[in-house]
Amino acid sequence: METIRNYLESMFANLPRTADVERAKAELLQMMEDKYSELIEEGKSENEAVGTVISEFGNLDELAESLGLEKEVEEACEIIEANPRRMLILDEVKDFLSFSATRATSIALGVALCILSVNGPIFFGALGLENTGAVIMFLMIFAAVAIFVFTGLQSAKWSYFKKELCSVDYATSNYVINEKERYKASYGAQLVAGILLCAACWIPTVILDDVARLTGAGNDSVSVILLFIMVAVGVFLIIHTSMVMGSYNDVLKINDRDTMSGSYSRGSVPEYAGPAMEKVMSVYWPTVRTIYLVWSFLTFAWWKTWVIWPMAGIIFAVLKGLSKNSSNNAAEVK
Amino acid sequence: MGDGNAGISSDVIRGYNDTMILHILRKGPSYGYEISKTIKNVTEGKYLIKETTLYSAFTRMEKNGYISSYESEGEGNGKKRTYYRITDNGQNYYKDKCEEWELTKDVVQRFIEGGEE
Repeated sequence: METIRNYLESMFANLPRTADVERAKAELLQMMEDKYSELIEEGKSENEAVGTVISEFGNLDELAESLGLEKEVEEACEIIEANPRRMLILDEVKDFLSFSATRATSIALGVALCILSVNGPIFFGALGLENTGAVIMFLMIFAAVAIFVFTGLQSAKWSYFKKELCSVDYATSNYVINEKERYKASYGAQLVAGILLCAACWIPTVILDDVARLTGAGNDSVSVILLFIMVAVGVFLIIHTSMVMGSYNDVLKINDRDTMSGSYSRGSVPEYAGPAMEKVMSVYWPTVRTIYLVWSFLTFAWWKTWVIWPMAGIIFAVLKGLSKNSSNNAAEVK
Repeated sequence: MGDGNAGISSDVIRGYNDTMILHILRKGPSYGYEISKTIKNVTEGKYLIKETTLYSAFTRMEKNGYISSYESEGEGNGKKRTYYRITDNGQNYYKDKCEEWELTKDVVQRFIEGGEE
């Protein structure tokens, strides 16, 4: 049955994404499913059933004619000829995802190294070895830069994913959606852990401060070192998981949104009214997260900055509500 | 079960797909696969209507007001399907097509070797 679905999706991939076309696809799928299940009940093998269903499907020209889509189909063909889309195969996409995971680790590690490098002078400085501390710091920064450059060079190989016009078929899209779905729990956990680590980074300082006051044997540098370690780990988690999640979304956004293939990555109904709104919403949470982290790191007022989250949540709900309303109104006017 | 429409050119039969579908719908509402199966059974497998042909006929006839469609779970497994039913316009159109066919058959038959039946 999956083969039939893939076949149908690939036939429809370049047709414009309209209600008529959606309906035609759904109806044809229903007929093909009915025929398929009856053939299976008659005792045909799966291969035989699939072969029969596909051979008796017909062709889309006829359909385009009755749907009044000849012009669109012709245009779609011309556009495809003028700007051929590179069809990405599943193995290619799998390679890209596994490379993206490695890249996410590398970049996150590089950033964490930059943050940790501050600990060099602090640690060795406390021991009276200022020069060694400085050397260690620069070595760590060099290592980070080396990682950035190396990763950058390697990702050049994959630049066609974003630069060239590409498309993925239904089966590949489905694979990525499943992978993304499976990654979501881990994404949430890493993001929360990362933010909590950053938000709680002042706790050791405060506790050690108390200990120092009570015992008189405190060590300022230890608390600062702990602070940077927590921030480094937190930032590592946030960057790593955001980049991995981003790579799934990159693949799912490859298809042309105006054709049927654009419907693979999401439900048949766009979530927001208008492409502008959708663009705003797609950068909403990353923006909030960036503001949160920048504000927090600039002020180190972690006990205050968390209010961004409930506020952002409320604003998100309002924006979503507004955009839904306007789409409903638009539908009524029609 | 024959091996499909090997013997029938789709150009010739195209004008009469509507007639077959309307004939079936005159007996009661039906849905895509059931109609295509009925056509296959009635013609003893000599004519298999392609899915795209069938759906094209549905949309064209619905636009012309010969049939109307509705969603229904139907009897049996309760799967939601689009059912089609014939309209009064469709009944008239069917009768016209039948007359047209009688005429066509009469005209063409005069030129077929083996002559009139």
